[in-house]
Amino acid sequence: MTAMRVDAKVVMLGKESVGKTSLVERYVHRRFLVGPYQNTIGAAFVAKALNVGEKVITLGIWDTAGSERYEAMSRIYYRGARAAIVCYDLTDSSSFGRARFWVKELQNCEEHCKIYLCGTKSDLIEADRSTRQVDYHDVQDFADEIGAQHFETSSKTGKNVDEVFQKVAEDFSSCALEFMQEEKGVDLGQKKDSYFDNCCHN
Amino acid sequence: MSQRSERRGIHVDQSELLCKKGCGYYGNAAWQGLCSKCWRDEYQKARQRQIQDDWALAEKLQREEEAAYVSSHSSSQTQPPQSHSQHSLATFSKFEEKKTNEKTRKVTTVKKFFSPSSRTAPKKVPPEKEREKEKEEKLPGRRESHGENLLRDLKGIFTQPWEMSSPTEALVSRLRESHEAKTPSPSITRQSSIETDRVSRDFVEFLKTLHKPGREIHKHSRAFIDSMGNKKQDLSAEELSECVQDFYQGMSDRLLNHFKGSSEKVDRVMDQVEKYIMTRLYKSVFCPETSDDEKKDLATQHRIRALHWVTIQMLCVPVEEEIPEVSDSVVKAITDIIEMDSKRVPRDKLACITSCSKHIFNAIRVTKNEPASADDFLPTLIYIVLKANPPRLQSNIQYITRFCNPSRLMTGEDGYYFTNLCCAVAFIEKLDAQSLNLSPEDFERYMSGQASPRRQDDPAGWPQSGSRVNPVLTQIQHNLSVLSSLEKRQQQVIEGAQSLEAELTEWQESVAREVQEILERYPLDIKPRASAIDAENVENDRLPPPLQPQVFAG
Repeated sequence: MTAMRVDAKVVMLGKESVGKTSLVERYVHRRFLVGPYQNTIGAAFVAKALNVGEKVITLGIWDTAGSERYEAMSRIYYRGARAAIVCYDLTDSSSFGRARFWVKELQNCEEHCKIYLCGTKSDLIEADRSTRQVDYHDVQDFADEIGAQHFETSSKTGKNVDEVFQKVAEDFSSCALEFMQEEKGVDLGQKKDSYFDNCCHN
Repeated sequence: MSQRSERRGIHVDQSELLCKKGCGYYGNAAWQGLCSKCWRDEYQKARQRQIQDDWALAEKLQREEEAAYVSSHSSSQTQPPQSHSQHSLATFSKFEEKKTNEKTRKVTTVKKFFSPSSRTAPKKVPPEKEREKEKEEKLPGRRESHGENLLRDLKGIFTQPWEMSSPTEALVSRLRESHEAKTPSPSITRQSSIETDRVSRDFVEFLKTLHKPGREIHKHSRAFIDSMGNKKQDLSAEELSECVQDFYQGMSDRLLNHFKGSSEKVDRVMDQVEKYIMTRLYKSVFCPETSDDEKKDLATQHRIRALHWVTIQMLCVPVEEEIPEVSDSVVKAITDIIEMDSKRVPRDKLACITSCSKHIFNAIRVTKNEPASADDFLPTLIYIVLKANPPRLQSNIQYITRFCNPSRLMTGEDGYYFTNLCCAVAFIEKLDAQSLNLSPEDFERYMSGQASPRRQDDPAGWPQSGSRVNPVLTQIQHNLSVLSSLEKRQQQVIEGAQSLEAELTEWQESVAREVQEILERYPLDIKPRASAIDAENVENDRLPPPLQPQVFAG
């Protein structure tokens, strides 16, 4: 995996136990964690290739620690990210509050990073409607306000999971032309403007 | 010189002999009719201008030549498959060298057509000669090329400035400059350790598989190292980093656009370039004096040492070290993160971090029986860093940030683990009572060393005490008890020896006393012998009586 060329960095943000890892597991390995399994050593970093039209795009999916004690460091994680999937638990209103926090952080620090709001555990509300704590329309309004995409997913049933990542890849692909040069030049905050000019004309 | 003797034969007007600048001194034909002083002024000015112009011209010509070469050869120039040539390189190296040797000779002969005085020097000359020089460094046993360089230098010095307009002259001046550039940086070029030599050799071997681009790459890399050697004194770490990053960027652009390499191939080449360059520059750019890296290193080291009391439980690390496989992974992870400091190439350092992370994942997987997420991984990494206290951690992080190929650092898997390491260090720096779920008072007391969590808590609430302690700790405790019993026994032995000694002295004294007593009681009394000898002579009676004197009348 080390040798794999990664086109775009995608960070998973969200409170602890909202199901970031499960979402990635479901998407990459097409399975939902029910019992112990030992096939992979870790789901913290995954590189996944997708087809978008005729192109193949490799997403590098970065799992992040959601605990509040690491909040101060989250900036280091999403630096240079092309997309952020901000997860919240549909059955836990506090997790949506935290999601708002990350959205604000991203808007302040990473303007090139596209935001995808992703409600998780939708299978639970389908089973029992009263468990829903985050209103769909509230989130939709918030998403419109910040210009983000909005999905409600279930890692257990696989609902909407592929769609999230497919959308991420498509959006990346469509703005790749603009970002291509910049992508190369992203260099931990150093200026590389001179190179943007001469490499795209060739 | 010959010009002057020619002129001598011809009659000339007096005015023609004077300096053309009209300073009143005599001019000289060899100096374009100027006197020595004016000539020198003129020469200096012209030379400066010429060098600048020719430099620009040579650069332009070289670019044109390369562009032409690439466009004409891009289809025919297929590079050999490297995956297998990597292995066969060792066996083919001699053959390769021979081939390169032949090529060099060819280049030399071609070059001989274009002597420095030839004004119609073709566009090919400058890059070819540069390459020639590169090869001279690569190939031992080509001494004549060194001689040629010298000759060229000499020619450059003695050629008249008005004849210097050919690109060759620009080349000569360039050569001379690059030669000068090398001399003041012996630390870079001369002080090559075995490792740098090996890396350089590997690099050249690798580039041989690339043919022409390989030579180009080598040339650029060398030139870059030389220029860095010159600059390093007066540049800050950030500027150095910018230079290196510019170089990477320029080089990969070149490879992509001029040589039409696929992105994987370019990546592979860039890895080699990075390895070569950073091995050479390591000494001068790692933890440079202009930065405060060293201070930060010490601060972090001190900080980690002060946090020695932080336990697995405080960090919520999902790792149980009493499982042998887990403790094994933990030890390996610690070893890897410490080993990072010994590597020179940023990529190798990253590989150490990645390997460390893999071991951590393994430890978590074995403990939790499920794949680790970032929520498990980061605390464990923090714990590992605290336990390992890796040497020069900040310097290493800075070095990687500054000099690693950015594409690798930003997106790939290595980049992910590196980012986590940065987070871990940031966490350790900012760590406070809240982040360990401790009260501020406890935190203060632990930090100041007044109390240790181990003694504070009762053994029952402390899973790390008793039999569940890490095997090394039990071993230490066992050793300690053995040592203390040994000490006790030694003490006894010493006491025994002392009492024995006391007894012995006493015995000796008592014996002496007794002897003394006896001596006193029975003093040695030697009675004088009877002085008359005969008195005791018992056999006197048996002796015949002494003879009486008798008178004989006769």
